[in-house]
Amino acid sequence: MPKITLTNVTKQWGKFIGVNDLNLEIEDGAFVTLLGSSGCGKTTTLRMIAGLETPTKGEIRFDDRIMFSSEKNINIPPAKREVGFLFQNYALWPHMTVTQNIAFGLETLKWKKADISARVAEMLKTMRIEQFAERYPAELSGGQQQRVAIARTLAPKPRVLFMDEPLSNLDAKLRGEMRTELKRLHKDTGSTFVYVTHDQLEAMTLSSRICMMNEGVLQQYAPPLEVYNRPANLFVADFVGNPSMNIVDARAVKTGPRTAEIEFLGRRAAFQANEDFELPSDKVSLGIRPEFLPISQDGDMEGMAYSTLPAGMETTVKIKVGDTILSSVVFGAIDYETDAKIRFGISGSGILIFDQETGGRLASGRVVFQ
Amino acid sequence: MNKSDAKKPSRFSNALYAVRSYFSVQANVLIVVFAILLIVLTVYPLYSVFRSAFTVGKMEAMRYNTLMHTKLSDGDLTLLNFRMLLTDEFKFWRPLWNSLRMSAYASLIAILLGGTFAFLITRTDIRYKKFFSSVFIFPYIMPSWTLALVWKNVFANSHVGTGIVGMLESLTGVCVPGWAVYGIFPCSLVMGIHYAPFAYILIGGTLRNMDANLEEAATILQASRGRILRKITVPIVMPALFSTVLLVFSSTMASYAVPVFVGSPGNFFVLSTQLSQLYNTMATRGQSYVMTIVLILFGVMLLGINTWFTGKRKSFTTVTGKSGQVSYIKLGRANTLIAIILVIVLFLIAIFPIISFALESMVEVQGNYSTLTLKYWLSREDVGGFAVNAGHGILFNGMIWSAMWGSIKLSLIVSLIVGTCGILIGYAVARKRGTKLAGLVSGLAFFPYLVPSMAFGAIFLAVSSRLTFLRGTLLLLVIVGSIKYLPFASRSGTNSMMQLSGEIEEAAVIVGASWPKRMLRVLFPIQKSSFISGYLLPFISCMRELSLFVLLTTDGMLITKLLSYFDEKAVSQMSNGINLLIVIIVLLVNFTINKLTGASIDKGVGGN
Repeated sequence: MPKITLTNVTKQWGKFIGVNDLNLEIEDGAFVTLLGSSGCGKTTTLRMIAGLETPTKGEIRFDDRIMFSSEKNINIPPAKREVGFLFQNYALWPHMTVTQNIAFGLETLKWKKADISARVAEMLKTMRIEQFAERYPAELSGGQQQRVAIARTLAPKPRVLFMDEPLSNLDAKLRGEMRTELKRLHKDTGSTFVYVTHDQLEAMTLSSRICMMNEGVLQQYAPPLEVYNRPANLFVADFVGNPSMNIVDARAVKTGPRTAEIEFLGRRAAFQANEDFELPSDKVSLGIRPEFLPISQDGDMEGMAYSTLPAGMETTVKIKVGDTILSSVVFGAIDYETDAKIRFGISGSGILIFDQETGGRLASGRVVFQ
Repeated sequence: MNKSDAKKPSRFSNALYAVRSYFSVQANVLIVVFAILLIVLTVYPLYSVFRSAFTVGKMEAMRYNTLMHTKLSDGDLTLLNFRMLLTDEFKFWRPLWNSLRMSAYASLIAILLGGTFAFLITRTDIRYKKFFSSVFIFPYIMPSWTLALVWKNVFANSHVGTGIVGMLESLTGVCVPGWAVYGIFPCSLVMGIHYAPFAYILIGGTLRNMDANLEEAATILQASRGRILRKITVPIVMPALFSTVLLVFSSTMASYAVPVFVGSPGNFFVLSTQLSQLYNTMATRGQSYVMTIVLILFGVMLLGINTWFTGKRKSFTTVTGKSGQVSYIKLGRANTLIAIILVIVLFLIAIFPIISFALESMVEVQGNYSTLTLKYWLSREDVGGFAVNAGHGILFNGMIWSAMWGSIKLSLIVSLIVGTCGILIGYAVARKRGTKLAGLVSGLAFFPYLVPSMAFGAIFLAVSSRLTFLRGTLLLLVIVGSIKYLPFASRSGTNSMMQLSGEIEEAAVIVGASWPKRMLRVLFPIQKSSFISGYLLPFISCMRELSLFVLLTTDGMLITKLLSYFDEKAVSQMSNGINLLIVIIVLLVNFTINKLTGASIDKGVGGN
């Protein structure tokens, strides 16, 4: 299994820049998700690695082998990269049966007849679709088609498996099941998976590393929990997590290498960072995950219940403070009367400070009310 | 590794690499090849038309020199051709007015017939839909002059024209007035009926694709049936209606065979028949090219309006969505009545012509059905009498069979070329969509549609007068036919390729399937029926084509040319018999292919 390295990869269409100067290293056996909203360049990146799209500039290597280089005029065609690609709409060939769909790639690779049927049988069994072997794609449900597509992609034993939003056409329940199976499949095959999605939950739950992109530019490349807990900037902070992070304008003045006095929502408090930090200006944004706003009678802050959204296991409470609406997530089901007074606190050491101008993260720490 | 790092490629090798990698993609190769090919095959002919329109030949120079006291000689540049034609009321302005009127009436008739039929089929619970629908297409599959010939067979009478006695007079003694036999009335009616199926296919397609929810939403709001029809259905179908009008209008403008059969004998001339007359007189040949330019300009203008109009209201035509269960209008007791009327109408326009041809080919004296004979089919002696060299009866007539074989051979070759080019152009355009080159290729491929067949023939006659090795050869006919029928084939090819997402092909690219393998094993099988329709349409069009080839062939080369020869010489038994053969062959081919592959003519035109 190869390590994939992208160096200064850029893709341009006329003046429009799809992917801008991307540097990325995908470890052997990793499960990397390219995460971002539509049009952020994630699918383009995936297609460039697979060879379906030609970068304008840069270099792509699998281990030491150059797959693409604009400088050295190298461009290995997709078929020679020994990759698998799972398409968003599955791209099953409607005129071939399930078996024929799976066998097609093996025939192209000139496998022996016996090997082909053995491999097809094996794939049918792995994906639990034996009973559909002779059916046509149109005769299968969405979930079954998905399995066939996976079987077809895995049959030639690709070194890397690329997936372009493979679950987005499934209903919520099925999507959940397929997530579990994909993660299992990743372990079983030991292949490198590169996965494109706009669903942050999918990225969080599946991947070993998230590559967060926005407008063609890499925002952060880190393991999911790091992306969640220590987002590189406001964009990442806002994109990852549901309900999204509360972002509140604040003023901050340094009082020591690791401390500052902050003023937000009409309150003053001390900020105690986990590490030394700098403040380029006093205008900052405070980032607080909903789970760090516990509701309790002895909370330091006060607001009004704007709306309560109980989901059974947890409840999202929207709290109005001044003109700002904050989200808080509480375990269990509670229902507050609309406009009732609520007291809540700010807990934990995961409160973030961002530079308002650049959006970059400056520090993480705790908020202490004097 | 380090070695290659150190040595940077030169600018030349960079350029070479760029070119090589561009052409390593098949779609790029195709798009470039077709761009060049189409530029040569459309620009060069166009150039030769303009050249011929602005220069004088030897005979014309002589004529102008005597008439206008000019001192022109062969090959001189001049505007006289334009001046002469555009100031001539009888050669230009009257035919123009006739053309415009005929086209307008024909469009109206086509819309009324086709639109009503489309509505009945898609929106009511009328009986025998499948049967009606397939029979209604007949007039479009049959050559356009078929109905003109039938018209003549029925209504010609001893008081009009050549005095041939038609069926009506011979059976009832009634003689219809001259205007009803030859002239604008039969021309418009026949063209209208011929293109009614076209209107049905386009309008019916839109109606069928229209999301039933749109109408249901109005039903929920308690709108009446009539109000829904007026306020929702018709406005949504409007673009299709408008497109139909323009297409029928420009096709009628360009048509030649019908006005020749039921126009010219009554001194009713239109631009296309005038074009042929001008062309056939050496001294006015230059003016025929001016006429060609006029016809091309009309075509460009009409298509321009069409693109502009449909472009503006695209949002209507792209209404897709799942057409759920449409609640059909219940015709109730009227159902049987309407069905009976339809049966009668369809019998008259689709079945009766065939009977009429058979009958007319089997009477010794036209109109006298007591003189039935199989002589014109079976005789092994010359059946033409003194006047004409007609040869044996149809079944044993070497001339007819060789012309028939010529037509079939030509149609086969042309349909193979056109169908294949259509698919390849479709592929290239779909893969390169949005690029300038793709726009150029799809535009150029549609260009031949704008040039009337007659003018197209004239253009290539001009070309072959320069490239003499082409003159009178099958190759010339193949080239002309292939270009002329490219528009619909490339359009249907593009449509079906656009429907296939790129991923379907990429899934095969990833596993290393070569380009031919992807085309043959993945893309073609998926859109098999619409691709085969792309082969079928040129075959049928070519088989029944007259105006495109009339200037380019000798009498015995193609069956349609032979047909018009017999018609001119008034051996109507033979022309009717040949017509019957053509109609039967065309219908048989269409039926067989339809049954075997599910492909059909209406798919080729863009219906569902």
